[in-house]
Amino acid sequence: MKLSLSRDAHRQAHLRYRLFQQISHFITVYFDPRSADLLPIKSNFRVQLFEDPAIDKEVEIRKKVLKIYNKRELDFSTLKEYNDYLEQVEDIVFNLTNNVDVERTKQIMEQYQRDNKDVIQRNKAKLTREQEELEELLLQEQQNSEQRRLETLQEEQRQLQAKRKNKQALLDELESSKLPAAVLLAQHKDRAAQLETQIEKQKQNVKPANIFSTGIMMPLFIDTYGPPVPELDQLGRLGYLNHVRTASPQDHAGGYTSGLACHRALQDAFSGLFPS
Amino acid sequence: MYHNSSQKKYWTYDKEEDLDKLRLEANRKFCSKGLSSGKPGINESMFLNQQEEKVLFRHYEKRLLDFCTMFKPVMPKSGTACMYFRRFYLNNSLMEYHPRTIMLTCAYLSCKVDEFNVSSTQFVGNLQESQAGQERALEQILEYELLLIQQLNFHLVVHNPYRPLEGFLIDLKTRYPLLENPEMLRKSAEDFLNRAAMTDAGLLFSPSQIALTAVLNSAARAGLKMEAYLTECMGLKEDKETLSKMYESMRRMTGLIKAYELPKAEEVNTCKQKLERIHAEFATNLKRKHGYEDDDHVVKRQMVAEEEWTDEDLDAL
Repeated sequence: MKLSLSRDAHRQAHLRYRLFQQISHFITVYFDPRSADLLPIKSNFRVQLFEDPAIDKEVEIRKKVLKIYNKRELDFSTLKEYNDYLEQVEDIVFNLTNNVDVERTKQIMEQYQRDNKDVIQRNKAKLTREQEELEELLLQEQQNSEQRRLETLQEEQRQLQAKRKNKQALLDELESSKLPAAVLLAQHKDRAAQLETQIEKQKQNVKPANIFSTGIMMPLFIDTYGPPVPELDQLGRLGYLNHVRTASPQDHAGGYTSGLACHRALQDAFSGLFPS
Repeated sequence: MYHNSSQKKYWTYDKEEDLDKLRLEANRKFCSKGLSSGKPGINESMFLNQQEEKVLFRHYEKRLLDFCTMFKPVMPKSGTACMYFRRFYLNNSLMEYHPRTIMLTCAYLSCKVDEFNVSSTQFVGNLQESQAGQERALEQILEYELLLIQQLNFHLVVHNPYRPLEGFLIDLKTRYPLLENPEMLRKSAEDFLNRAAMTDAGLLFSPSQIALTAVLNSAARAGLKMEAYLTECMGLKEDKETLSKMYESMRRMTGLIKAYELPKAEEVNTCKQKLERIHAEFATNLKRKHGYEDDDHVVKRQMVAEEEWTDEDLDAL
């Protein structure tokens, strides 16, 4: 009996062979006689993140090295010392990645670890503190956005209810009141319009406070060496848009407004106008 | 934007003398290189002096502008090509790199930067030459392209005064009712800008200053007074110092433009002959110089060689 396998199965086997070759940097395999398959020894298995396996290997090695060599710039008195330190780290990573002098490099690392135990501990603690603070801020920001979402939902519900009440009131009035239908309709329209403007006004007032997630905040000031340019949203009010080509519906669909071109022309006209 | 651009930081100079100094330096460098090359029959007089280089520069610049105007399909007017040409020859001598090729390379590069998409064949199709001549020109352009980018110090974004001019017209229409019809200033202002592009104005003043000068100049020509625009609309009523500095710059600029004149044909021809002789003598073969030897890319080798499996291979097992 001749065992003939399909072309597809060949491909599969071939591809798995290639895949294992590529991640052989990280895994050692053994042949499992029961499933007639190559299985990885679970302890070393890692998911390949980058296309080039060499880069992946380097990234892993770098992570490990930096866990030990975790000094920061402020730990050094001069910039040169810091740069020398960084160069040291790079040499170590290079040696380990390219299998050069692996034994000696590992010894150097161990020596460093022993000598600088307390500094390493301290920096580890600092790092975790910073991470915690960041996580806190992120959590807060998440909570705030969740709250805002709920609020807008509630607002929408309220508006829908108000509209429904209005309609119901109109129907009731049409039934019961003695005034002619046209008058009632006009009154109703009026009331609806008033309600709309009220809602608009509310929206304007409730501008959500901008929360900056990173926590550092100073408005950025850039010197344009020229007179101030009006803001993009003020251009219509100030009358600039009357002198620019109006955007066609196709332009609007693409996100283009005439204010954009106008603002850019004005920015260019005023930038660098005053001699320094 | 212009105020934090590379143009402002690196390519705007204070005085015309600084520009002349740079050009003189480029000229001297080539002359000394040529003299010390040890070739027989070389003497000082066969090189172009600064004045002759200027003549040739203006001639080729005009040809560049004509090339861009006659280009099919229509090339949008931006002034980028002209600025590249000017910047390149600020630090290099016309004797070292032939202006004809550089001018085409500038136009080609500016098409790319301005996102005006023409294929290279379409580009050289605009040259008045045979098919073979066009191909040769294309080869040369492609050779010089990287050199050009490098000599521009990789600063490829050029801020031109045309959009600022639009901005000023919009601003005038909106905030300066004293001027009834700013549109009528457009034509002569644009003409002013075109003439300014043929001077060093772009290397000395910001594009908004050039545009403002264009507007004020064309208003003055039409006999209209516009000081109130600067004092009231620009808020310079109190700031006499800035105001006077601005007027000073505008005076300098108008002076530069008035002083421009197209070189005469005989002068151009004498200088051209000298140029051709120099280029024949010292032809720099860029291909050799810049290591273009291996044109084939170094392709990243695959980690594992691709193999085709067939049923026959399995038979061998």
